Amino acid sequence: MPPARIALDWEVVRLRVLFGAMLFGFAVVGAALWRLQVAHSENYRRDLARQSVRRVRVPAARGRIYDRAGAPLAENRPSYAVAFYLEELRQRGALSRTVDRVEATLAEMERLLGRPREIARADIEKHLVRRRPMPLLAWRDLDERAIARWAEHAADLPGVDIETEAVRVYAASSRACHVVGYVGRAAATNDASAPFHYGGPEMAGRSGVERVYDRLLRGAPGGRLLRVDASGYRRGELDRREPRAGADLRLTLDLRAQDAAAAALDGRPGAAVVLDPRNGDVLALVSEPGFDPNAFVPSLPAPLWAALRDDERRPMFNRAVSGAYPPGSTFKPVTAVAALSQGAVSPATSWDCPGYFLLGKRTIRCWDRGGHGAMSLRAALRHSCNVYFFHAALAAGPDAVVASARAAGLGRPSGIDLDGEAAGLVPDRDWKRRAHRDDWRDGDTCNLAIGQGALLATPLQMAVVAAAVANAGRVPTPRLLGGVRDPGQETFRPVASAPLRDLAWDPSAARLVREGMRDVVMAEDGTGRKARIEGVTAAGKTGTAEYGPRDARRNRGWMIAFAPYDAPHYAIAVVLEDAESGGTTVAPVVRRILEGLFRVEAEPGREADG
Amino acid sequence: MTARRLWFLVRRLDPFAVGAILLLLAIGIAFIYSAGYRGPGEPVAPFYRRQLLWALLGAAAFLAAVATDGRRVAEQAWWLYAISIALLVWVLVGGVYINGARRWLHLFVMPVQPSEFAKVATVLALARHLSRTPHIREPMTCLLQTAAISGLPFVLIAVEPDLGTAAILVPVVFAMIFVAGLPLRVLGGVLLVGLLLLPLGWFALTGYQQDRVRVFLDPSRDPLGKGWNAEQSRIAIGSGGPTGKGYLRGTQNVLGFLPSTVAPTDFIFSVVAEERGFAGSLGVLALYTVVAGSALRAAHRARDKFGQLAAAGLGTLLYAHAFVNIGMTAGLLPVTGLPLPLVSYGGSFMLSTMVSLGLIQGVYVRRHSP
Repeated sequence: MPPARIALDWEVVRLRVLFGAMLFGFAVVGAALWRLQVAHSENYRRDLARQSVRRVRVPAARGRIYDRAGAPLAENRPSYAVAFYLEELRQRGALSRTVDRVEATLAEMERLLGRPREIARADIEKHLVRRRPMPLLAWRDLDERAIARWAEHAADLPGVDIETEAVRVYAASSRACHVVGYVGRAAATNDASAPFHYGGPEMAGRSGVERVYDRLLRGAPGGRLLRVDASGYRRGELDRREPRAGADLRLTLDLRAQDAAAAALDGRPGAAVVLDPRNGDVLALVSEPGFDPNAFVPSLPAPLWAALRDDERRPMFNRAVSGAYPPGSTFKPVTAVAALSQGAVSPATSWDCPGYFLLGKRTIRCWDRGGHGAMSLRAALRHSCNVYFFHAALAAGPDAVVASARAAGLGRPSGIDLDGEAAGLVPDRDWKRRAHRDDWRDGDTCNLAIGQGALLATPLQMAVVAAAVANAGRVPTPRLLGGVRDPGQETFRPVASAPLRDLAWDPSAARLVREGMRDVVMAEDGTGRKARIEGVTAAGKTGTAEYGPRDARRNRGWMIAFAPYDAPHYAIAVVLEDAESGGTTVAPVVRRILEGLFRVEAEPGREADG
Repeated sequence: MTARRLWFLVRRLDPFAVGAILLLLAIGIAFIYSAGYRGPGEPVAPFYRRQLLWALLGAAAFLAAVATDGRRVAEQAWWLYAISIALLVWVLVGGVYINGARRWLHLFVMPVQPSEFAKVATVLALARHLSRTPHIREPMTCLLQTAAISGLPFVLIAVEPDLGTAAILVPVVFAMIFVAGLPLRVLGGVLLVGLLLLPLGWFALTGYQQDRVRVFLDPSRDPLGKGWNAEQSRIAIGSGGPTGKGYLRGTQNVLGFLPSTVAPTDFIFSVVAEERGFAGSLGVLALYTVVAGSALRAAHRARDKFGQLAAAGLGTLLYAHAFVNIGMTAGLLPVTGLPLPLVSYGGSFMLSTMVSLGLIQGVYVRRHSP
């Protein structure tokens, strides 16, 4: 062995320099790692989350809707769909191989279920591109038998499972369609506060209570965080937030009153509204013809939509709140109140009705060409004498009549919690100038006095007028929502009704108008006597208004009513688009409604006053 | 070589180096397992078991290298060099094409990468050359000879093409002529010329060509588009944070964002850094510092010039691999496809690394007593 060689000093220095260079190199690498892992770690964590996590919105169970007695109006039923889990069916290589595999499974399922396929190859491809981590729904709304057949073979078909969806059911179907409304598939709204990649099928209220209280009914959607792999297939679920179910609603509507009103209309185009004058509760609100909202779920088939849209009878149109018509003689109590409060007439005031009225050079006829003779206010209401009300309105002045009409809630929406409410129209001097570039004339006052001309009111507004008279001048605000039950709660939290608006009618004037309206129904010669029912003192006012082209005149028949006379808890308005007159055609309808209401009241276990 | 003689040598091994090597091997196997882990109840990719086998074979190679006397190695250095050059030529003519590059030879029963052995053989040949040349008096001649010896394997490897592996020779050769004692002015000149040529060559290319060169450098490593792996690796490392997500909790490789072909090999450091965080990254850097420092200690205590140069050269080679690999995964350097010594999955590289470490420790165990 040769003698050991000791490293020279410069060699040691150079080795140390080399080691120093190595340490410097690692220091640079360490600094880069510090930047990545400590200084900017958050950015990379975000990047990681962004690329491998997908947010899925899970719709909440929609709240149910009940009538005031707890009868279901809108509920949810489970619907079964066949779901293909693509991450289990995926094939290596080109995407078309995965599509082929899905097709093969689809064919197998087709044979198994005995039902033709509902999706095409293009749908599979579209799903793979747009919603890859989500299950592909191949069949929707399967019946139990089909599910049973699938279950026998479930083990042989990997990647296939049953998914449950909620489908809206309307128990009252067409009987309460305009009140309850219907839902449609919601447009996916991607708001910034809760962004998501994929949404489930979500329902949104499209009309009626479903639409007005959509926010309450809808609840808060939950979410799932899906982890996807680099190819975009689902790998698992990271997290899940359960949705918060929507609140259940209890309406003021009484399904039995609703049924009675619908039965009374008997499919004739028109509308009927029953209010509780004490608080504005809408007990019944019917518009005929109607539609079956169950056909709208989960989505409205295009042909049905076209048929509904083009139907001349306009079944989608809610006549009770959106239909504005001249109220005709049912407006006369408003004129009476105006004249009484102005001191233009007194209970003793009497005018003679010769069957016509001379206004300047014009002759306006009363409906009874033979004339009513000497008329007091009470008798004029009973006979619906036009001439008396011409005198009264001209004596009171048009402004007083307009003020009285507006005070009773005409000319503006009643404030009911339904959408699409019409305001109606109370014509005044300004309106005449704007619309006709003309001054207000006495002829306009005469038209207004008997509810004709430009005056327009909805059946709901006229029900409010009936309620105002029933309450001797206190006006309720109609409402449909009676109670809300939050998810998990046992009982409904009652919703307070709006206080009545007191118009401070003179008590004697109120009494006079009410008595006149009682005579309409209760007197043997009252125009509304056909509305009378056994054992109940009711009051009302009929009306008939002509409309349509001159060669095909039709009568729109009206009647407003309230009962019982001494302590009214029903205020009613009914309109029929095609009637002989209010007294002959509509009064029997009101009678059938009153019969129904008092029969329901007599039923055991039922609180009559809500 | 008796068992007694071997035991004598083993007892003289640098315990710090041996500890660091064993730890890095363990880390490698553990995180190759993690890279192949797909979730509870799912089969783990079997690479970790094969890596364990390679580590055991590597340990044997290590001991064999320790047992081999440095003078015997010096005598055979030119032969080893010649054989490795022959293999490099062979791989160019009859090698297996994998992803557009000829790097692999089906020698024996398994595929081997001749470039892995060529790197070690070149270092040994240079050590032999520099230890025998009167370079103090003839620095330029020595420099040209050095350039020739290292240039031949450089070109052969570069045209495979595997420019990353070829380029690793540059710092190694420079470190060796530095330790060999070439005058500082000569070294300064080499550095200056190199620094001038490098950017000139780069800027001579247009942006499009630069991209082509990047892809050309390593076409196989970037199958999903330029920079995918590098970006995913950065996300993996960065999202690891200071302390990591926990062992087997990394997601980048499980979800396939870090492709399963590179996660256990070139990008194994990303898996370590994602699951063990900055602390784990520093730990790995520290272990390589110990290994490199131990090589330079062996060079310091070498009983002859060949041993000194071989230890310094092989130490620099290992260090450069670690530096380039971690720099690449951290986004400091372009993706070149150099594995991480002792940790990355792979047989050829494991054996060449363990032989290198064995040769370094062979120098150390025969150190002179101070």
